[in-house]
Amino acid sequence: MPDPPAPAIRVVLADDSVLFREGLARVLADNGFLVVGQAADAEALHAVVGQAEPDVVVTDIRMPPTNSNDGLLAAQRIRAEHPGVGVLVLSQYVETRQAIRLLQHAPQRVGYLLKDRVSDIAEFAEALRRIARGGSAIDPDVVAQLLRGQGEDGVLAALTGRERDILALIAEGRSNHAICERLFLSPKTVETHVGSIFTKLGLLPAADDHRRVLAVLMYIRNA
Amino acid sequence: MTRRRWWLLALGVVCVAWVLGGEWVSIHRGVPENHFIDALGGLAFLAGGLIALDRRPGNAIGPLMIAFGMVGYFGNWGNLNLPVLPLLGVSIGQWAGAPILAQIALSYPTGRLRTTFDRVVVGLIYAGAIGICVVILLVFDPRSAGCPACAWEPAPFPSGPAYLAATSFYQRGGAVLALLFFLAVWLRFRRATPAERRDLTPLWVAVCVIALSYLVGAFASPSPLADPFAYLMWELQSLLQISLPVIFVWGLLSARLARSAVGDLVVELDRPLPPGELQASLSRTLRDPSLELLYARDGQDRWVNARGQPEPLPGPGAGPGARTVMVVERDGRPLAALIHDPALDRGLVRAAAAAAGMAIENERLHAEVRAQLEEARASRQRIVEAGDRERRRVERNLHDGAQQRLATLALSLAMIRDRDGADPAMAASLARASAELRQAIDELRELARGIHPAILTEEGLPAAVESLADRSSLPVGVVSDFDARLPEPVETAAYFVVSESLANITKHAHASRARVELSRCNGTLRVEVRDDGVGGADAARGSGLLGLADRVAAVRGSIRVETPPGGGTRVLAEIPCNA
Repeated sequence: MPDPPAPAIRVVLADDSVLFREGLARVLADNGFLVVGQAADAEALHAVVGQAEPDVVVTDIRMPPTNSNDGLLAAQRIRAEHPGVGVLVLSQYVETRQAIRLLQHAPQRVGYLLKDRVSDIAEFAEALRRIARGGSAIDPDVVAQLLRGQGEDGVLAALTGRERDILALIAEGRSNHAICERLFLSPKTVETHVGSIFTKLGLLPAADDHRRVLAVLMYIRNA
Repeated sequence: MTRRRWWLLALGVVCVAWVLGGEWVSIHRGVPENHFIDALGGLAFLAGGLIALDRRPGNAIGPLMIAFGMVGYFGNWGNLNLPVLPLLGVSIGQWAGAPILAQIALSYPTGRLRTTFDRVVVGLIYAGAIGICVVILLVFDPRSAGCPACAWEPAPFPSGPAYLAATSFYQRGGAVLALLFFLAVWLRFRRATPAERRDLTPLWVAVCVIALSYLVGAFASPSPLADPFAYLMWELQSLLQISLPVIFVWGLLSARLARSAVGDLVVELDRPLPPGELQASLSRTLRDPSLELLYARDGQDRWVNARGQPEPLPGPGAGPGARTVMVVERDGRPLAALIHDPALDRGLVRAAAAAAGMAIENERLHAEVRAQLEEARASRQRIVEAGDRERRRVERNLHDGAQQRLATLALSLAMIRDRDGADPAMAASLARASAELRQAIDELRELARGIHPAILTEEGLPAAVESLADRSSLPVGVVSDFDARLPEPVETAAYFVVSESLANITKHAHASRARVELSRCNGTLRVEVRDDGVGGADAARGSGLLGLADRVAAVRGSIRVETPPGGGTRVLAEIPCNA
């Protein structure tokens, strides 16, 4: 649902498929976003971003010219040249390594999602808004892979089931407020759980919503 | 005795009579010289020339040697108090030897003058000699030459001073010709192959000393008989001239010595030779370090070395780099080619090749097998690479086609669902369709990833292996000591070693964790996958491990599986990667 008081979020779309781009543009327009530019490859994307002054760029990872990870490189370049512009990278495959690389490069205003997540429109719009506000959005598959890789007897074994659920949502980039809504818990309860998780993992609790994503992901990966 | 030998024998008898007769005249007339050395010089050249004529029919060296040995005796016969002979003695007998010797020296051992410069030098020396002979025939006067009692009829224009002036001029002009001759010898030496130098050096040393002694003698006195020093030089020439045919015969004998080396070769070959050793043996036997041995492929006009690698036969050529190719045949089929120094004696090369016949045939079979193995390996590599290319293409088509369309379709369905006012039954159907579609997208994604992992092409082996580890259902540690890209076939083979091994571990090993190590050392990629499972993996179970072995072998690698019961399993692949 659109946020009436705030000005519409300006979005640039990059994908080599016109059909997908147009579809996504319509969905975003219907949901209160302002699509200010489109591009079919990495070079055009840079040009459009320079002119259209978007808040967020949504780009496919595999695009011409090399049909390799051009979108990922373009995202890193945009983050470096336009620090205020958020970037959401879409991919047919999610790779933990790529997600971490993106976050390490700039822990804020980034997202890395499976491409077909766009079909859950509400969830996708929420992720875009989060990135525009300075947060991040990491695909649940990436987080699930990381958690699974730790096995049953790792450090995470100390966490309760509920704490693990919350850890996963933190790793996806969600705020405490969003976690409350999702798990139907009171803010107080969520805060207690988060504090407990950080204590058990030995992480500094002071990390704010934006920075704790990378901290948690790196922790899980290296545990 | 062949007819030819009878002729040679007759020629020999005539020449011996000519020499001994000449010597008899000298003794009878009391000419002051060493008659033994004088006779020996002529006879040695005669013997050498006859041997050369016998061994190398058609080679000009033999006749030239005999001619050189004989012309000197015109001088001896000139002492007879008969018409014409004294004139021939002081002209041909004294001056015709030098050009013949120069021709022998520059045309040895083929009997042909090779370069224009050689021909010009020899031509000039001949022209000089003919010139002085003509002058002498015109002006020679026996009385002025210290024989007033001689009753020879004189030349048409007898003049003592003119004779002395002419011979003196020729001897000094001869110095220039000698220098040209030395230059020609030096040029030939520079062009010569090592084998030629070895064969020719003794000859050239002797000829050059002789030419030097001519030169020194020329400045000593115009008349050799009048001056003790010039007489000494003249005797030295005679002695050295004896050595020349000896050197030539020694050359023939050294071919004999080499033939006995062929005997040694036969003994040497009576044991198994490591590949390539036959070429070294032949090279030693024929004393040609540049010798090469190539083998003919079965039914193909192509040649390979002992290791089975294709190599071209050198074409016919001239100049310093020229090589001679001798093809060894059996039953009309080419077996091998000996590529050797053109200076080698062809008969000797043939003898060595015949002696090494069995070994050549043996090594040719080995080379044939190696070449076929290499062809099979290369063909397997091409097949694997073609398969991989096809897999990449299919993955790319899925990504750009079906996957993209399904994502767009999912978006469209979502838009329809999102619209208000749809009736609940329709909304439920749409939700089910969306769920089905998401399932289809997930399955297609796993299929595409199994066909070819995009991350391997995009980010290389370590990243792709980490991705495998991330998606594995049990914890997998990955250690890699490099991040660089490797050749595509190597990366693909290594990737499938890891993915197949991890799949086996998940299915059969009952392991709690696994570990993948990638390391690069001395141009070899080492891939090790270990688990802490039950071990005892059966290589024959399924085609997985066998397929891996084929894949790795296609890129010249090797794979080893250690799987003691209860001790976990360790798969170790080593792949050469020249990067």
